[in-house]
Amino acid sequence: MSILRFHLNDRPIEDAEVPPTTTLLNYLRQRAHLTGTKEGCAEGDCGACTVVVLDAETDPAAPRFRAVNACLMFVPMVQGRRVYTIEGLRQNGALHPAQAAMVERLGSQCGYCTPGVVMAAFEACYREDLHEPWQLDDQMCGNLCRCTGYRPIRDAVHMVAGTCPEDLFKRRRAEATPAALEFVRASAGRCYMQPTSLAALWAAIAERPQARLVCGGTDLALLVTQRYQDLPELIALEGVPELRGVGRAADGWFEIGATTTLTDLEAACMGPLRPLTPLLRILRYFASRQIKHRATVGGNLCNASPIGDLAPALIALGAQVVLRSAAGARTLPLEQFFLAYRKTALQPGEVLAAVRVPEPSPGARMAAYKVSKRRELDISAVAAGLYVETCPEGLVTEVRAAFGGMAATPARARGLEAALRGKPWTEATVEAALPALAGDFKPMTDHRGSAWFRGQVAENLVRGFYLETAATPRPDLPPRPAATVRLEVVP
Amino acid sequence: MTTHVGERVSRVDGRAKVTGKARYAAEHAAPDLVHGFVIGSAVARGTITRIDASQALALPGVLQVFTHENAPRLARGDKRWRDELAPPGSPFRPLQDAEIRWSGQPIALVVADSLELARHAASLVRVEVAPAPHETDLEAHRERAYKPPPHERPSVTPPSRGSADKAFARAPVRVQAEYRVPVEHHNPMEPFATTVVVDEDGTLTVYDKTQGVQNVQSYLTTIFGAEAGEIRVLAPFVGGAFGSGLRPQYQVVLAVLAARQLQRSVRVALTRQQMFTIGHRPTTWQRLSLAATRDGALAAAIHEAVAETSRFEDYSETVVDWTGLMYRCDNVRFAHEVVALDLFTPMDMRAPGAMWGVYALECAMDELAVALAVDPLELRLINYAEHDGNEKRPYSSKELRACYHQAAERFGWSQRDPEPRSMRDGDLLVGWGMATGAWESTQRKASARAVLTADGRLAVASATEDIGTGTYTAMTQIAADALGLPLERVTFKLGDSALASAPVEGGSFTVASVGSAVDAVCRELRSKLLKLAQQLEGSPLARLRPEDVEFIGGLLRARADPSRALTFAEVLHRAGIDHLADEVTTRPSKAHEKYSRYTHSAAFAEVKVDPELGTIRVTRVVTAIAGGRVINPKTAESQVIGSVVWGIGAALQEHSVIDHALGRFITHNLADYHVPVHADVPDIEVILVEERDEIVNALGAKGLGEIGVVAVAPAIANAVWHATGKRIRELPITLDKLL
Repeated sequence: MSILRFHLNDRPIEDAEVPPTTTLLNYLRQRAHLTGTKEGCAEGDCGACTVVVLDAETDPAAPRFRAVNACLMFVPMVQGRRVYTIEGLRQNGALHPAQAAMVERLGSQCGYCTPGVVMAAFEACYREDLHEPWQLDDQMCGNLCRCTGYRPIRDAVHMVAGTCPEDLFKRRRAEATPAALEFVRASAGRCYMQPTSLAALWAAIAERPQARLVCGGTDLALLVTQRYQDLPELIALEGVPELRGVGRAADGWFEIGATTTLTDLEAACMGPLRPLTPLLRILRYFASRQIKHRATVGGNLCNASPIGDLAPALIALGAQVVLRSAAGARTLPLEQFFLAYRKTALQPGEVLAAVRVPEPSPGARMAAYKVSKRRELDISAVAAGLYVETCPEGLVTEVRAAFGGMAATPARARGLEAALRGKPWTEATVEAALPALAGDFKPMTDHRGSAWFRGQVAENLVRGFYLETAATPRPDLPPRPAATVRLEVVP
Repeated sequence: MTTHVGERVSRVDGRAKVTGKARYAAEHAAPDLVHGFVIGSAVARGTITRIDASQALALPGVLQVFTHENAPRLARGDKRWRDELAPPGSPFRPLQDAEIRWSGQPIALVVADSLELARHAASLVRVEVAPAPHETDLEAHRERAYKPPPHERPSVTPPSRGSADKAFARAPVRVQAEYRVPVEHHNPMEPFATTVVVDEDGTLTVYDKTQGVQNVQSYLTTIFGAEAGEIRVLAPFVGGAFGSGLRPQYQVVLAVLAARQLQRSVRVALTRQQMFTIGHRPTTWQRLSLAATRDGALAAAIHEAVAETSRFEDYSETVVDWTGLMYRCDNVRFAHEVVALDLFTPMDMRAPGAMWGVYALECAMDELAVALAVDPLELRLINYAEHDGNEKRPYSSKELRACYHQAAERFGWSQRDPEPRSMRDGDLLVGWGMATGAWESTQRKASARAVLTADGRLAVASATEDIGTGTYTAMTQIAADALGLPLERVTFKLGDSALASAPVEGGSFTVASVGSAVDAVCRELRSKLLKLAQQLEGSPLARLRPEDVEFIGGLLRARADPSRALTFAEVLHRAGIDHLADEVTTRPSKAHEKYSRYTHSAAFAEVKVDPELGTIRVTRVVTAIAGGRVINPKTAESQVIGSVVWGIGAALQEHSVIDHALGRFITHNLADYHVPVHADVPDIEVILVEERDEIVNALGAKGLGEIGVVAVAPAIANAVWHATGKRIRELPITLDKLL
């Protein structure tokens, strides 16, 4: 039986009692009596509960701070790690630069979102990869504030982001070594197991065949925090090193481990996965940084939501999933992984181990789109991944058009694809093919969009794809619309 | 003389907030604290026929499940349930009967040792209901509209004047349009919560999330039949409220009820979903009919509105009045009615009434400008109201012209091409729109107590609130200036029902009301101190006139000769007293009755619209505010920036969607109820226009909490028209409406 062990503001914590599906937020507020970390929604939408976890496991060569939503983490998810909360930032009574900036720039009004904002800004302080303005928006986007209008917060974060102060926290990060993540708490009918090898994972699954697998838990935790369900048996995948990392297989395909977090995938898309531009596009608007720090590629796909944003882009790129079990491994095209609403092809004893993506053909056109009411931090009304290859004569030789929000699963628009394949890639062909979409999908009407709206948007996305890729086959995101006249920041 | 009023002072409570030390209602500790979890009704109307809590009660650690069957009967009669701000009607009384009035109504409270256990036990309680048909759709039931009885603040809709319908029919240029606005929820970041601490002597200390500790305190003592001394309500920090904390919320009743019954300290915190069961900004239908002569002068204005209220209270807001006071017009007709629906009573939400009424008026003015082929700003100037046509009184001050000019110039309004779809940025359509805003400036009776101690420190207190608005800071500044003290020697205490009485914090009247009391009590101390100083034997200040003595840095000093000085401490010490205290109550002056008192604003907005996808981005907002004297430009600007972002939310995002089949809000979380996020926020420039006003109060401050939001949504809606040529008359303007 494991004891929950972690460092809370550099103080060692040991707890043999706490039920493992206790959220870190409730642990902090109710048990540790650290009420600086706030509950605003208990479902990862507001960021008031943001704390920072030091992660040296993903890349031992480059430990990093990760701002995460404490409300969506079960306590074993910090096993062996260092957790920092708002109460732990002051050093010898002096405010941390992230705190001082918030006071100076009046980033706090009612103060309830403030601790979460400060913790997100704290991560920003120590980031060394902040090069573009959108990254700061992305860093802070997961923190809702209802008072300040965000400008004062932005001004405060601008003051400190990337400054990497020479302090205790920087030293802690430099000294960090991979934590012992193993956690096993099991009794009759109940367990929470976090194995740290593939062999131990197979053993755990064999012992608890009914257990649910958790890989990040940003959706699963909602069952506890919103539906008040009891999750008696859980096996967490994030401790298994074999499921981790991004690389290139011997056959030249890109391989993305299932436990790769979306922030790590995003970073890889700016590095080794650079050819996969549609992924980078979709990750930009995927979710808040706090969510992306915990959500994983495997978790997102296995959740099999019809509006999961990763699937359309990956399907368009021709991705396969690698399903492993104690008995061996098999691969499937991603679109065949989704069988029905929230139902996948995973067999008992199988886990999604990795996603494989082929190197796109050099001349291919490709892009991904997400249309939602609020651009950031929203659930898609429609998402699309589009990929077109043409031969030198200009005829479409390969086409993959995948959509989310149009059916019970993410799915390819086979009729549309058929209407495009073999035809010259022209605006006339696209217009002639578009009516086929109506046969591919019968979308539903809900508060995110009517069936008519979804159908119209899906068509417009294909039109937009044609136009956008005419100039640039692999477009990056267009820059954020800026004001016509630049104004200085209000002092 | 040092002054702090008017300076960019950082928040005095900033440090407490960035270190996590500021404690909110759910964060106060108590020994043996137990947790209550609210069970809400799943149907919108009906009668509870049976509640079976046996499974929940069987769990070890579950103390009680309170329902209407076992909860004590509290006060009888509507009157005793009416809090300070209750509209006419019969206020909701938690757990007092079997009737269900709206979806989410609290029908039971599970109390257990831990929050998780209470929550789990709540899922085991079986409730049987005999449902009754419900009606939640305003549009479908508009034929049931009636004129609501007068409410306390929007006293009565002003009388119509002239003959608007005839003038409208005769006028050469006319516009008439219907505007629809949705339900919005306040969604402060802190959910409602109450921690009741049962003290050894049986008295209750109630930490509540509220905008009015004394309102809650008197409500609780009345409904529980308690003595005034038995219940004390505290709210030192409130995580936003925006009007949702003006009236006592049901969780405070449930928490106190449980604490009294169990004689245990109890905490009841609402979930974010439950925050959609506590009142909201009402959905409102409006029709504006504006007519003008060819030169643009308003010939007739008719403003009709139908808003929702609950079945049990007649809530109403000031929706239509704005049309009669913002522009000069001799022929005006108003009609304001409500429809009772099976939803909870609506609540004041930032700029209640004006938010929707001015939105419709300002969009209609834009439509009229198009019909007249006149620049929208020019149309406003043509019809500029020098007097309040509703009250037939002059304004105490009105620098709206300066707002228009300064904001238009900063925005570059003169470069606007009036043709819709004429301005582009690459593939994006660019639209520029503007609108006017107004909000009332009031002062209410308020008291403050001040104590100057022998160590030269000043403690001032009043039972007001700081819901994020900066009350702590503003009052500290005002007090420090009145006595010439540095800020760090002044403390201001609030959020305690035992303090000197103050109105609820709302309506943008806190600085005007409580600030006046703080200023007055400190000036009273100043006089006393001077008198004391002059009576001292051999006083260096003897025989000086008050105006010849300055108060500076904790000193009384002769203006003419700085060497003739005494410290505050010296005065008290030599006078043989250890402190000087006073309490003062201030009221609005008689001059109030002769003037109309309003704040004004102008907002200019730029949007960029993707014509293929219908996505709208607000890229720039310039707003100018005339709100009298500004106590603290730093907190004031921040308030206004926050207001502008509220306006963006109202224009483009915020919408509590009701599933009328269920009679329930289905966007009841922050993933589906959209508020603007960090990246939605454009360049925002705030101009605080200089405005002198000696009528409103001694400070000359008119209040800034609400005026910033009023003009923004119509300015954006007008900009969307300018960008696209499409007039979307229903908020929020979402991409599906534009496509």
